[in-house]
Amino acid sequence: MEPLEIFKVETKIPEEAEAYRSILSDVISELGLANSIGRIYAIITPEYSLFQMAIILRGSPPLVKTSDFADVNIGAVTRNEIQIVLRDEKYLPDLLEKLWVKYGRGKVIQQDRKTINVNVENMDTEIETIKEMAIFDPKRTLLSRLVEMAIRGTPEGFRVRYHSLNSNEFIFVASEDAMKPEWVQQGHQMLEKIKGG
Amino acid sequence: MAAVLEPYIYEGGIHRHTLILELLEDLGGYLIQKTPAATEVTLVMLVPRDDVHLIEQLAKDLLGKISRAPLTGTEIAVVSPTLASHHLPHSACDIAEFLRRGGANTTMIGLARGMGRRVALSADYERRLINEHDIALFSFGTFRDCIINKKPKLFEGIKIPIVATGGPDLKTEEVPGADMYIGNIGRVAHRLRHSDELEGLDVMSEKVGMIVEKMREDIARDPLAVLPARIMKEVQEQIPEIESVYTPAPLTLQLDGLRIKLPYADFHKKVEDMELQDNIRLRDVATITPSKMKNYILVKVKRKSEVGIEM
Repeated sequence: MEPLEIFKVETKIPEEAEAYRSILSDVISELGLANSIGRIYAIITPEYSLFQMAIILRGSPPLVKTSDFADVNIGAVTRNEIQIVLRDEKYLPDLLEKLWVKYGRGKVIQQDRKTINVNVENMDTEIETIKEMAIFDPKRTLLSRLVEMAIRGTPEGFRVRYHSLNSNEFIFVASEDAMKPEWVQQGHQMLEKIKGG
Repeated sequence: MAAVLEPYIYEGGIHRHTLILELLEDLGGYLIQKTPAATEVTLVMLVPRDDVHLIEQLAKDLLGKISRAPLTGTEIAVVSPTLASHHLPHSACDIAEFLRRGGANTTMIGLARGMGRRVALSADYERRLINEHDIALFSFGTFRDCIINKKPKLFEGIKIPIVATGGPDLKTEEVPGADMYIGNIGRVAHRLRHSDELEGLDVMSEKVGMIVEKMREDIARDPLAVLPARIMKEVQEQIPEIESVYTPAPLTLQLDGLRIKLPYADFHKKVEDMELQDNIRLRDVATITPSKMKNYILVKVKRKSEVGIEM
C-alpha cells in the first residue's frame, strides 16, 4: 500500500471538502504521519455536527529491541558487569528508563555518551534478557499521534467521540451531541469502502 | 478648527529618524506608536493633510518608506472561538498581522467557550471586553451552515461594528448580525502565504478600512470634544510614569477614545485632572472608567453636542 493512496474528504458542498482536505493534510504532515497512513476517508456533516473518519494504516513497524541498536557484551567479569555500547543514541532515554526500573539506579552506570555498564547477579541469563528487552514500541506513539491527528482534525466543539483501532484499521466518529449507533455503523461502512484492493 | 490629520506609517533606518519626529512635532502632527527593531524603526503617525509632502520628502531623503495606513488610531479585537490549535494561530494571527500593517492596534481574544455549534457561547466579561474596542473581527471556519446558522449567536451583546471572516464566499446579508462578511479566510492549519490567501487578507484589510472610514464620517457629523491623539500627547507630557510602561502600545488610540495602560486605582485621579486647556480638564470632556483589560484606564471622549466644547 502506498502512502496516502486514497485521501477522500466529503461534505455536502464540494469547496468545503477541498478546504477541509487541506486542513487534514496539514495536520498529517505536522505529526509526521504521512508515511504511516495508507488510506483515509472522512465525511463531515455540519448540519448534524458530525465528523466521521476511517483510516487504514500501512502495516505496523516491529518493536525495537536493545540488540537492534546496541552491542551487549560481557564487561568486567570480576564485577559481574554487562557492557552495552550504543550504535544509535536515539533510544538512549528509553533504554535507561527500562534499565533503571529493572536493576535500580545504583547498578546502572553510564560511563560516557555511548557506554552503559550494568551490575547483575547472573551474567549469562541477564545478557540475553537485556538483548531481547523491548525498548520502544513505534505502534504506541503511532496510536497517540493518530488520536492527536483525529482530535486536531475534528471541528473543536465535537467532544463526544468514538474510536476503534483494530490492527491496521482506525475509525473515528465525533459529534457535539449524543452519539448515535448508526453514525458508528456508517464509520464501519466507510472503512469497508476503502478496504478493497 | 483643527487641521485634518492623515494617518501614515514610516519604515526606515533608526539612524536620523528623529528628524522625522522633529518635523512631525513642528507641523503639529502626532506620533501614535514607535516600534524600534534592531536598526529599523516603524513610526505610526498622524500628519496634517497639507503638510504630508514635507514628511514624504524627508522620508525619501532618509531612504525610508512612507505609506498611508488607513487603520491608524483604531483598536480592533480579533476574536477567535477558542485558544485551541483548531482556531489559533492560523488564520487569526495572520488577520491580526495584516490589520497591524494597516496601522491598527489589535487585541487577540480567544473566547472560553466559543467552540462548536449548539454549545458555542460567550461570557458577559468577554462581551464587555470586546465592546471596549472600535471593531470586533470574528474569525470563523470552513462551513457555510455554521457561519450562517450557529456562530452568529456569538455576536449577541456586541455593540460595536462586527466583521466576520470565514472560508465560504457568502454575502454580508446572509450572516445575521454581521456588519461585514469577508470570505476566503477560513480555518487553515498553515501560515497564510499562498497568493490567493494573501489576496484574501488584502481584501479583508481594505474592507475593514471601509468600515473605519464610515465610522470616521459618523464621528465627523458630531465631532469629538477633543482628539484622542491630543489626549495621548497630554498624557505623555503630564504623566511621566507612562514612560516606564513596557507594553508595545502604552497608550492605545481608539476612534473615540484611548486606553491608558496604567493601573486605574493609582492613576485615574491624575488622568481625570489632566488639564487640556485653560480650566478644561479631561473629566469635563471624557468618561474615564476602569478597563476590562487588566486594570488599565479606558477613556471615552464625549461629543461636541454633549459638552459644547471642541478643541
